[in-house]
Amino acid sequence: MILDIKDLSVVYQTDMEVVHAVNSISLSMEQGETLGLVGETGAGKTTTALALMGLLPERTAKVTKGSIWFDGTDLLSLSERELQRVRGDKISMIFQDPMTALNPVLTVGDQIAEALLLHNVEGHSRKEIEARVEETLELVGIPKERKKDYPYQFSGGMRQRVVIAIALVCKPDLLIADEPTTALDVTIQAQILSMICDLQRKYKTSVIMITHDLGVVAETCDKVGIIYAGEVVEYGTLADIFEGDVHHPYTVGLFRSIPSLTGSARRLSPIEGLMPDPTALPEGCYFSPRCKQCMDICKKQKPKVYEKNGHQIRCHLYQQTGTAGEMEGSGGR
Amino acid sequence: MLLSIRELRQSTRMEGRAVNKKDRDGSRTGKRTSQVSEIWRRFRKNRAAMAGLIILSIIVFFTLFADLIVPYSKCIDQVGAERLQWPSMRHIFGTDEYGRDLFARVIHGSRYSLFIGVATSLIALVIGAVLGASAGYFGGMVDMVICRIVDVFMCVPPILLSLAVVAALGTSLQNLVIAITISSIPGNVRLIRSVVLTVAEQDYVEAARSYGCSHARIIFRYVLPNAMGPIIVNTTMAISDMILSAAGLSFIGMGIQPPSPEWGALLSGAQKYMFSSPYLLLFPGAFIMLSSLSFNLVGDGLTDALDPKLKD
Repeated sequence: MILDIKDLSVVYQTDMEVVHAVNSISLSMEQGETLGLVGETGAGKTTTALALMGLLPERTAKVTKGSIWFDGTDLLSLSERELQRVRGDKISMIFQDPMTALNPVLTVGDQIAEALLLHNVEGHSRKEIEARVEETLELVGIPKERKKDYPYQFSGGMRQRVVIAIALVCKPDLLIADEPTTALDVTIQAQILSMICDLQRKYKTSVIMITHDLGVVAETCDKVGIIYAGEVVEYGTLADIFEGDVHHPYTVGLFRSIPSLTGSARRLSPIEGLMPDPTALPEGCYFSPRCKQCMDICKKQKPKVYEKNGHQIRCHLYQQTGTAGEMEGSGGR
Repeated sequence: MLLSIRELRQSTRMEGRAVNKKDRDGSRTGKRTSQVSEIWRRFRKNRAAMAGLIILSIIVFFTLFADLIVPYSKCIDQVGAERLQWPSMRHIFGTDEYGRDLFARVIHGSRYSLFIGVATSLIALVIGAVLGASAGYFGGMVDMVICRIVDVFMCVPPILLSLAVVAALGTSLQNLVIAITISSIPGNVRLIRSVVLTVAEQDYVEAARSYGCSHARIIFRYVLPNAMGPIIVNTTMAISDMILSAAGLSFIGMGIQPPSPEWGALLSGAQKYMFSSPYLLLFPGAFIMLSSLSFNLVGDGLTDALDPKLKD
């Protein structure tokens, strides 16, 4: 197991209020796997990723409980200096917007070399590093002659390739892709995704794919966690989520919100209402105010996790009888 | 109709090819030098800035080659027979009350003024950059402490602050530099802090942390270079303020002491002969004004040239 997040909770504290961004998330993944984190804006996906990198804003954010085990060490117990050694080398991150994620005053070659220079424990010469930079550029489909160019001379898609090159140049064990294609147009999106997948296979990198696009998940992920209000409400393999019999009502709602290309035309049915205010989360199940199958117990008691062959659902619907068969109708989409 | 559609397609295709070619050429020539030459091109278009640059070059030329133009001894040696002479071919700026050549004194005086102006702005820039960048980047307690200290210094008018420092340390070139530097640091800290605040919010700073950069490396490699535009402009403008402060302090006798030929000190000595020999005031005064003006003009030109939003 390369990554094991246990019971992680993160809050943002200001003088006025306390925002519960991540509430007891537990996730784990194996070497070489791709884990998709899906959820609405503000569900806590990015906060989870930042907690992993140790990049939470120091003054406001606080990890209240839990642990993040990466390759046998608890990342939360590391000092800033030790974290700097992990970041970029063992764990790296692809940012959402390639237009702003590159330093405008450094050439792309220099920026790719940056991570190599910072983690140069084996003492490679400048020449070896340059060679590695060129190799990585070619790998992401940019001619190596362009390493002396500045970011403003690249288009959005090309810049995202550079960002990916930076993230992969040290051959990290874990790559966090925070909505890597959200800022790109659809044609480039497919190219970038397939490139990430190819490189992942080549380097046996584990990838956490953060997205709100179920299409991206279907294309790239092995396992999927659906996140709602800072909680994993459903977790399972790609097949469990896309083809399974039973689902969390929120997952069902997500799928109903996507137009279908093949099926008969129907009205889209978006999930009514908004995410609960993270400064004042409702009692019981966080989804209960928007849930069409809400029961009395949902408003009073937090649901426990129902599990079947690794497919986990946090919902009261599946706990009364303990069998899923009777609930088939409610879970289908 | 058919024909026109075909034509249309052809022309679009041609256009596409032309654009592609341009794109490729652009990326070929768009190398390291292009940014500098681009800034220079925009700077050159600004006539006032170019005028400033030319005046500045002349003054810098005088400063560098003062010894070759007139030997230093000429502005120190007193010649009793040639006291208070009006400008002539022999003494183009005239002579002062001790018969010293004013032209020589003004030319050598530019060394003091430019040196003080440049040195103080650079020292103030370095200290201001370190303090301002730390305050803006780290925020919290660091920001609190630095800003409060700056606030205290800002309460005292800069000229009074300089006077107090000179009064405490005594008059000498070194102390003058210290005094003027101290009085200009607070403004620098505030400016750099405010620029850094916006740059530190950028994604590429967070990205740099995700590669494992240390805070110091981020500040010097990512934050400060991206905040450079306003800082360069401010420093250029600051030099002119520093020249004025130095002249002012010397004028009231708190800076460079006679017989050293500092412009402010020259003015101060000329007061007594204001009506009989006005040229004694005119020439040093003109040089103070021109040097200060030229730095301001160049600074203004740089503001426009460095601003990418004004690209045309």
